[in-house]
Formats: sequence, structure tokens, C-alpha cells
Amino acid sequence: MAVYKRSYTSYSGALTPPRTRFLVLPRYSYERLFKSRFLVGFLVACLFFPLGCIGYIYLVNNLTIFQSMGIPTPGFLKIDGKFFLVFMNFQGALAYVLTALIGPNLIAPDLANNALPTYFSRPFSRTEYVIGKISVLFILLSIITWVPGMLLFGVQASQAGWDWSVANWYILRGILLGHITWILLLSLISVAMSAWVKWKVVAGALILGIFGIGAGLAQIINSILRTDYGSMIDISRIMYTIWSDQFGIETSTGLEAFEAWIGFAAVCIVCLLMLERKIRPKEIVR
Amino acid sequence: MDTVLWRRQLLAIVQLEWKKTLFSKRGIWVYVLAFLPALLFGINAYRVKSIRAEQERMSVSAPNASAVSNKIVAGMSADVAAEALRDAKIPYSRFTRGRRLEVIRYNDGANAFDLMFREGALVDKRKRNQALLSDDIRAYAGMFQYFYLRLAIFFGCVGIFMNLFRGEMLDQSLHYYLLAPVRREVLMVGKYLSGLVATILIFGTSTALQLYLMLSAHSNKEVSDYLAGEGWGHIAAYLGVTALACVGYGSIFLAAGIIMKNPMVAAASILFWEGINWFLPAMLKKFSVIFYLQSLCPVVAPLNSDIPEPLKLLVTTAAPISAPIAILGLFTVSIAVLAFASIYVRKLEINYGAD
Repeated sequence: MAVYKRSYTSYSGALTPPRTRFLVLPRYSYERLFKSRFLVGFLVACLFFPLGCIGYIYLVNNLTIFQSMGIPTPGFLKIDGKFFLVFMNFQGALAYVLTALIGPNLIAPDLANNALPTYFSRPFSRTEYVIGKISVLFILLSIITWVPGMLLFGVQASQAGWDWSVANWYILRGILLGHITWILLLSLISVAMSAWVKWKVVAGALILGIFGIGAGLAQIINSILRTDYGSMIDISRIMYTIWSDQFGIETSTGLEAFEAWIGFAAVCIVCLLMLERKIRPKEIVR
Repeated sequence: MDTVLWRRQLLAIVQLEWKKTLFSKRGIWVYVLAFLPALLFGINAYRVKSIRAEQERMSVSAPNASAVSNKIVAGMSADVAAEALRDAKIPYSRFTRGRRLEVIRYNDGANAFDLMFREGALVDKRKRNQALLSDDIRAYAGMFQYFYLRLAIFFGCVGIFMNLFRGEMLDQSLHYYLLAPVRREVLMVGKYLSGLVATILIFGTSTALQLYLMLSAHSNKEVSDYLAGEGWGHIAAYLGVTALACVGYGSIFLAAGIIMKNPMVAAASILFWEGINWFLPAMLKKFSVIFYLQSLCPVVAPLNSDIPEPLKLLVTTAAPISAPIAILGLFTVSIAVLAFASIYVRKLEINYGAD
């Protein structure tokens, strides 16, 4: 057949099911990400603390030394909301570092190389693209946050018994809700930054800096205007307030839980608007 | 040494660069960062004036308000306190904070108070919204040392000075300079001076504006008393420290932009080092820019309330050094860093593909 007679025809092979189509993006992203030894090492290191926590739970539930001496177990040696709040804080901080490492690579290269039209020329919507990019982080961050959190709760429940689980079910809710909101926030911030800043290095710095500068700004707003509402732009305080509220722990962040939720929603909306503005199927030719 | 030629070249580079730095689109965020405290002090000026007006109104409408307020003491129930305020015709708002805390907020003409009730009984009577100049001076000291120096000027210098070389590499325009018959050291100093002009202009203007807005909130008498005392000294010190911060951080980040391929690593490391300065032993504190800058600040800022109590125990103090030594130290460090960077800039080769 002569070459000139060949013409392009539409693809007639099997299609990825529409519902799971967004998962194509994480599949290819992980292929690239897991080539980095540093990243794999960091992911493994993130699981050391949960391992230590499991050891602690086992110890606290098996302190026979006090019982054998006939004295009650010291009050601080107990597994309660405060213990899980410490766990969430620690793993949450690691999730933040991981986001700063991975986040800048998500959208910036696609934009820098004008690759968005190649995505959107396929049966793939902007929403699916954003969800796909977010799911890269969501899956990875889940591995180091709520998944080990659930495991810890399970270990404690198995040690302390059914009554403890029933009385403390709110801890399970707190771990799930707290970590999922944190992951969602981190993912949205990082994809928004990655979409707006083409330089990966600067995007990484922005992801790191947004928390530091937000906290600094909150502090000066509070001190100059003698208010507590400045804390609504401090993302760490917002999340700490939400987490503490889930565990029924009083905080001195100066924020009410509903104010923290408003702050959380505002950050998410701003990030979504930033994405809406930037993720367009167009190519800029200069 | 052809110093006349170098001076002319320096001048030419500064003239080319300072406008580029000041009016670049990429630099808008630096302006936002620099002028945000000024905006806050502007809002504060309006707030203070409103409080003054409210206090004057209250002193006319409820002249016995202070006497009633003094009778509200610890242990009193929320209902009794609310009734006392209602009887004295003092407007108040009553709301809850958290699960167990009830708050009554009112203004007695002289002061504004927050009454905190736990389980129905008064546990704390807090003065709030004080419109005092002394409070504003303390708030300014905290803002200047914790936000302005450590974050605004720091990140502003990161953005401006790192961009001087690294930005041109990314824009693929550095070779025009490198092909020109100008010594690399002259080019580096020229770029540094232009960055310095831009940062001092931006951050110095903002500092002056912040101080003006802070003082504008208060009565002429209060302000003139303050200026007649230590006021002018404070203003000069804050402006001087701003300029010195630009000198110190500028030299470090210019060097980082030349030496390192990924200058953000340097920025993050320096931010960490400057951030933990409180906890460093006295000897190590001296190896940071912030130590010298804080030594020159006229008002000691209260310790950051965000530091957890256990960490506050680890805070160490080092005797602040005298102003001439601090200034000399900062200039010496800057010159040393620039001299070190000049070794690299002489060997600088660019490969845009790799960068």
C-alpha cells in the first residue's frame, strides 16, 4: 500500500472505563516517582514513627509491673485522643514534607512544555485531570497518614477490648476525617502552586513558604489588630483546631472549630479557583 | 587597576538592573510582602480611632460605667454580671467560645473588657483593644523582629538577589553580560548594588510607612512626647536595621544564586538556621545575620507566643553586642561572602540546556 494512502482513523481499541480513567495519571506518575531512591527511602522512614507507636501501645496495655506492685498505672501512660493527636501531628508534618517533594512535579512540567492540549484532546476532562493529579498525592500520603492511624486504632482496640473501641469510636472518626482533610488541603495547595509556578524549585519553595508566611502573617495580624481571627489564615492552626475538635481536646489556637472549617473551605476554594484559571486546554505560542 | 572604568561599568550595570528589579512582574509578591504590615498598621490606625471615639461616647452616655465595671470581680456569675451592665446602660455582647467558655464583652468608657466565664462563674477579666501607644510600640517591635526581618525581608532578598544571576540563567540572557568586556567581579558587584538599591527602596519605604501609620493613630501630644524622648532614635534604628538586613541577606543569597544550582536548598537551610537562633548556644548565635540585626533593634520583642512551653525552656540568651561591632560584623560578613562568590563568578560557565 502506498504511504500517502494511509490516513489517521479514530482509535478503536479498548477504552479505560470512564470512572477510573483519572487513575491513569497516578499510574504513570508513580512509575517516574519510584525511580527516585531518596523518595522511596523517605516513604519508608515515614513509617518508623507508626511502628514506634505500635510498640508504645503494646507496652501501655501490658504494664504488669505496676499491677504486680499493687499501685495504679500512672495517668500519663494511657492511649487516648491526645496520643492520637500527637501521632497525627507527627505524620501530618511528614506528609507536608513529602508534598513539598512531590507536588512541584505534578502540573508544572505539563504547563511548561505546553502538554495540556495532548491530555485534553483525549476523552479526558479538566476535572479528571485535576483529580488524577491530586490522587497521585492522595494515595501516597494516605500510606503514611490515615492508613497507619487506622492500624494503630486497630491494635489498641485489639489490646484494650470492645468496650474501649465503643467508647472511643470518635478517635477513629477523628483520624480519618482529620487526615483526609489534611491530605486534601495539601494536595490542592501543591497542585495549585504547581499550576501557577512553572519553575519546580520555586513551586517547592512556595509550598513550603505558604505555611511559614501564613503563620507569620497570622501572628502579626493578631498582634497588631489585637484579635484572634488572624489565625484563620494560618493553615497549621486551622488544621490543629479541626483535629483537636475531633478528639474533644481544648486548644489555645484562638479559633473555634467552625471558624477553622471556614478557613479550611476558603483555602480549598481559592486553590480550586487558581486551578480553574490555569488548567485550560490551550497552547501559548510566543 | 582601571578604577575609573570599573566605576563607569558599575554605574551602567546598576542603571540597567535596578529598574529591572524594581518594576519586574515577577517581583510583585515582594511588594505585597513588604507593604502588608503597612496595610495592617493602616487598619490599626482606623481601629484605634474608632475605639477612642467609642470611649468618648461611652463616657458621656454612661458616666458611672467604670464604677460598675470595677464591681465585676472573679467568681461572679454571668447572669449577675450581665444584669449589672444592663442596669448601668452599658452595651455588651454575650457569646460562647469553645464548649465551656462564655464571654461577655463590653466597654466602660476607659477600657474594653472580655469577661471569661467557666461553668457560669467569672474566671478571667481581660482588658482588650487597648488604644495605647506603648502597646503599639511593643506590637511593632514583635512584628518587625518576627515577621519583617525573619520572613518579609528574608524572602524578599531570596526573590530579588537569587534572581540576579539564577533568573538570567533561566531566562537564557546571562550570556549577553558574560560576552561584554567587563570583569566578572564588576558585574557581580554591580548586580549586588542594584539589588541593594531596590530592596532598600522597597523595604525602607515600607518601614517608614509602617511607623508613620502606627503613630498617626495616636494624639499629637502622645506622638510628640514619644518623638521628643526616644522616638527619633527608634525610627532611625528601624530604618538602619532594615537597610542592614538587605545588605546581609542580599550578599548571602546573591552568592547562593551563583554557587548553587538549586539555591532553594540554601534558602531553606539559612531559614532553618536563622529560625533556631533562639535555641542556639551564645557562641553559635553569632554565626547568623539575625543575631546582629536583633542586637540593633531598639525595643526587645516579647518571645514568640507560638513557641511551645517545653521549647521555651531551651531558649538561650546572649548579651547583645554593641551597635558599631554589629554593623561592622554585618559588613565584614557581607564582604567576605561576596569575595567568596567572586571566586565562583570568575569561573562561571553557562549551559542553558543543563540549567
